[in-house]
Amino acid sequence: MAALKSIKRWFWWHRWSSLICTVFLLMLCLTGLPLIFADEIQQAMNTTRYEDLPKDAPKANIDLMVKQARARYPKEVVTFIFIDDDEPQVRVNMSPSWKPTDPGRHALQFDSRTGKLLNDEPSVAKKKLLWTDIIFSLHRDLLVDLPGELFLGLMGVLFVISIISGIVLYGPFMKKLDFGTVRKERSRRLKWLDLHNLLGIATAVWLLVVGLTGVMNELSTPLFGIWQMTDVKTMLTKYKGTPIASQDELSSVQAAYNTAMKATPGMTGTSIVYPGWPFGSPYHYLIWTKGNQAFSSRLFTPVLVNGRSGELTTVVKMPVYLRALEVSRPLHFGDYGGMPLKVIWALFDLVAIVVLVSGVYLWIVRRKFYTEYFKQIEAEAAL
Amino acid sequence: MTTSTFKKVWRIPLLLGILTLFGLLAALLGTGTWYGLAWVAMAIPLVLIIYHTFKK
Repeated sequence: MAALKSIKRWFWWHRWSSLICTVFLLMLCLTGLPLIFADEIQQAMNTTRYEDLPKDAPKANIDLMVKQARARYPKEVVTFIFIDDDEPQVRVNMSPSWKPTDPGRHALQFDSRTGKLLNDEPSVAKKKLLWTDIIFSLHRDLLVDLPGELFLGLMGVLFVISIISGIVLYGPFMKKLDFGTVRKERSRRLKWLDLHNLLGIATAVWLLVVGLTGVMNELSTPLFGIWQMTDVKTMLTKYKGTPIASQDELSSVQAAYNTAMKATPGMTGTSIVYPGWPFGSPYHYLIWTKGNQAFSSRLFTPVLVNGRSGELTTVVKMPVYLRALEVSRPLHFGDYGGMPLKVIWALFDLVAIVVLVSGVYLWIVRRKFYTEYFKQIEAEAAL
Repeated sequence: MTTSTFKKVWRIPLLLGILTLFGLLAALLGTGTWYGLAWVAMAIPLVLIIYHTFKK
């Protein structure tokens, strides 16, 4: 029986790939649930009071915000500036050093229209960790950064294997059953087996998409690392040896931003990375821009502007693997189709939890079933 | 598996898969009406789950 042998092999893959990743997947489903509504939660927890100004109020000069920030912390460096397109805020990030993990790094929040300082936030080390931060970190990296990301990525790969093998097993299992059959009267085990199959197959595509894009997201650090070591490095070789500008020698950041905006019509600038920050260029302002349409707003284009002269260096073309990463984000988060899509995402997530738990249950009762069976045989043999 | 059993087993799962994929992409690439279509398409697998799980 070649067919039976192949079913057994798929079953082996389904059982072990699922069992290994289940605990982590359960954690991911539970922490992912509030993260679907991260925007709403953040909005509800936001305590910033903005001045009531007309929607088309002109933006304040970023140079003046940076000037205020640097006057407050003359010994520190400005690392990057975040320009929100949602709320009228500009966040100037500063740090005692260029180390990306420096515990002394902190942000100053400005009103993007008045240029007034709204909030001088405490450093990362002193900032109170919000429950949302902990949940997000658990979901992304088990609170241990890169090793956690790679580990969860691996669990994601196992999850994808378990979905594929589950789909393969669905075929022979349902040969004599109609879609949606749930045999409730016979035994609890049978009922949950039927439910596991129904819920699993009805959500299979969603599970696959969220699983695969989740793996992709966990690879973002190495993918950006590859880009930094290849394309970015090549782009910057001709500047090697030119002196790196200190922050006093830099050209106007507002002018650099304007130059980047002129070079990318129809795009919005979302952040400005200062020359010297490890995720950028030692010689350039790196301005991240994004499109204005529903889909294009997910695609980012970096622009390099010379830090000393303020001249446009280049509009960078992103490699395919980073484009794939950018498309993976919304498909994983479910935050791209309005509130109803978020609710649908949450419901799918709940179904996934039932599939996971019922899978473990079926494995446990199956073992009990077998041990009882073997005991019975033993007892009969002893008589 | 014969062709007829294959069809019987996979017709609805395949349909649900296509609806889900359509919904995921419609909301990603479109706006307005496409959002509505995406919500409806993706709600169908959930409705079927609820129906079969709780029917007497």
